[in-house]
Amino acid sequence: MRGAIYSLCLLGCAAANAADWQLALDLRAIDSNGQTSFLDNGQGKLRFDADHEGIQLGRLRAELNQPLGEVFSAHVEASTWDDDDKNPIDLTEAYLEYRPYPTAGWRSRVRLGAFYPPMSLENRAVGWETPYTITPSAISSWIGEEIRTIGLEGQVDWLGTRQGHAFDLQFTGAVFGWNDPAGTQLANHGFALHDRQTTLFGRVGAVQTDPSKPKKELFHEIDGRPGYYVGAQLRYLDRAVLNLLHYDNRGDPTVEAKEIRDMAWDTRFDAAALRIETGSGWTAILQALDGETSINPFRLLKWKFDSQSALLAKRFGQHLLTARYDSFEVDFNWDSVMPAGEDGHAWTFAWSYERGENWRFALEWLQVDSNVPMRATQLAEPPFAQESKVELSARYTLRGKF
Amino acid sequence: MPNSFRTIVPCLARALLLACCLAMPASASALLVTVLKRDGHPLSGAVITAEAETGVPGAAPPLRAIMDQVNLAFVPDVLVVPLHSTVLFPNSDVVGHQVYSFSSARQFQLPLYRGKPYPPVQFDQPGIVTLGCNIHDNMIGYIVVTAAPFYGRSDARGEWQQHDLPAGRYRVRVWHPLLNETQELMQSFDSAAGEKLEFRLSKALRPAPLTGRPHSWDY
Repeated sequence: MRGAIYSLCLLGCAAANAADWQLALDLRAIDSNGQTSFLDNGQGKLRFDADHEGIQLGRLRAELNQPLGEVFSAHVEASTWDDDDKNPIDLTEAYLEYRPYPTAGWRSRVRLGAFYPPMSLENRAVGWETPYTITPSAISSWIGEEIRTIGLEGQVDWLGTRQGHAFDLQFTGAVFGWNDPAGTQLANHGFALHDRQTTLFGRVGAVQTDPSKPKKELFHEIDGRPGYYVGAQLRYLDRAVLNLLHYDNRGDPTVEAKEIRDMAWDTRFDAAALRIETGSGWTAILQALDGETSINPFRLLKWKFDSQSALLAKRFGQHLLTARYDSFEVDFNWDSVMPAGEDGHAWTFAWSYERGENWRFALEWLQVDSNVPMRATQLAEPPFAQESKVELSARYTLRGKF
Repeated sequence: MPNSFRTIVPCLARALLLACCLAMPASASALLVTVLKRDGHPLSGAVITAEAETGVPGAAPPLRAIMDQVNLAFVPDVLVVPLHSTVLFPNSDVVGHQVYSFSSARQFQLPLYRGKPYPPVQFDQPGIVTLGCNIHDNMIGYIVVTAAPFYGRSDARGEWQQHDLPAGRYRVRVWHPLLNETQELMQSFDSAAGEKLEFRLSKALRPAPLTGRPHSWDY
């Protein structure tokens, strides 16, 4: 995979068409009472815990979009997060896109490489970020943490709005590999609320010092069995979008990868999202996720997970006010013997302000209540925790061409 | 000299106006079309065409028009041109666009470009040509190609007026990109019977495209 991505970058640089690039620095000021973060192998739900207050690097992101002739283009995103990841700078997405012209009302699109499945209607800004809050929903946080398509995706669009209709329709199908450990994090710490996307060659935060636990490196092919997802999107003009996705990594839990102390987790889920926007600046986003992950033959150990979120935002010119509620739950089928599930909910309130082309300021208050029995069994702490933070973000983006 | 100018110019203007009135055929008349939404409020920007039922006169003389792309939008959003007109598609944005149409009235593609590298596109069939950009899916524009000799768009009062209409029967059609009607809006007009036509929509308009949303967001 690494070789293919480097070749893709070289191909991009060699092309004659001008490339668009972006460089964005996002600094944060944090006030948090969070428990030791999952990034530091704790059971805290936040990216910045009580030990990571003050000025922090939110993200330093570089993006390159390179047209390759008429209908091909290459996209590469690299980021540094200034935490204890394996690589100081690493990729979050890198893919080649084929986008031919529509004919007779239909258009096809193909992506090859590493990218996010078309699932979150919240993470619509560049860099797979949400413009509504600093911290995405529990669902998007988990997708950013554990899920990446490393493979081939095809889409077919029926362009109804170009033919006098009020609707467009899109069908998506993908075949992928290198995502067999997906599910590891849900079983080890459950859901979290954070904007820390896992990098393609990195790991989730600090090194795992407990030799009995996986190394948290999530983008590996272990069982040689490709996974797939299929999805559909219905769009009403530019006002409403309904997204449906079924994902199955077809993991074979009998196969282990000793080098990352992990195995192929058999993870499948259904996701639905609805976004409605009005002419007066209101946006509502509803998202739901329901799935399960299992290890061991015959699916003896099984975690069922689900999460829902509801977001309401109002735009006032360049200002955006947002409120969001998240709920999440993980059920382990041997919970009565060995507690490994959780449940919780979170409230997020945010204000953001886009100043000109370059600056974005955001202020967010987030509180997450969670009941995690593993806090008692593993850390000798109370299972229930209420964590909250106030976060201020200042982001400066530079754009150019070469 | 300036004083004499002030007296001569209005005199000349009045003489010219009189000459025009005398030169007009005695049977010429006027047409006032009013387009109202379902709730009775005026609909501005509606495309109105008046085509002679006898086929005479034919289409208005062709034009050389411009459909620009500014700030990731087609400008104007609706362009009305007579049959056989040519339209230039400059791209005034800093980002590249790929303009396409697969409408039956005119199918074409302008490969990724900035500035104005391509010659104008000619439109030889009447109909509605829907424009899109293959890179920016939220861009949508329309070119209405008409074989009618008289055409225009309704103003803020929902009105369009055509003077000097030769006597006869006309098919008057109304179209708007946000129309939700199931049937074409068409009425016959006989210049001998009157001077006014009113169209009232039977359904509410579709919501107008959203504005003010950052372009960097996914559509």
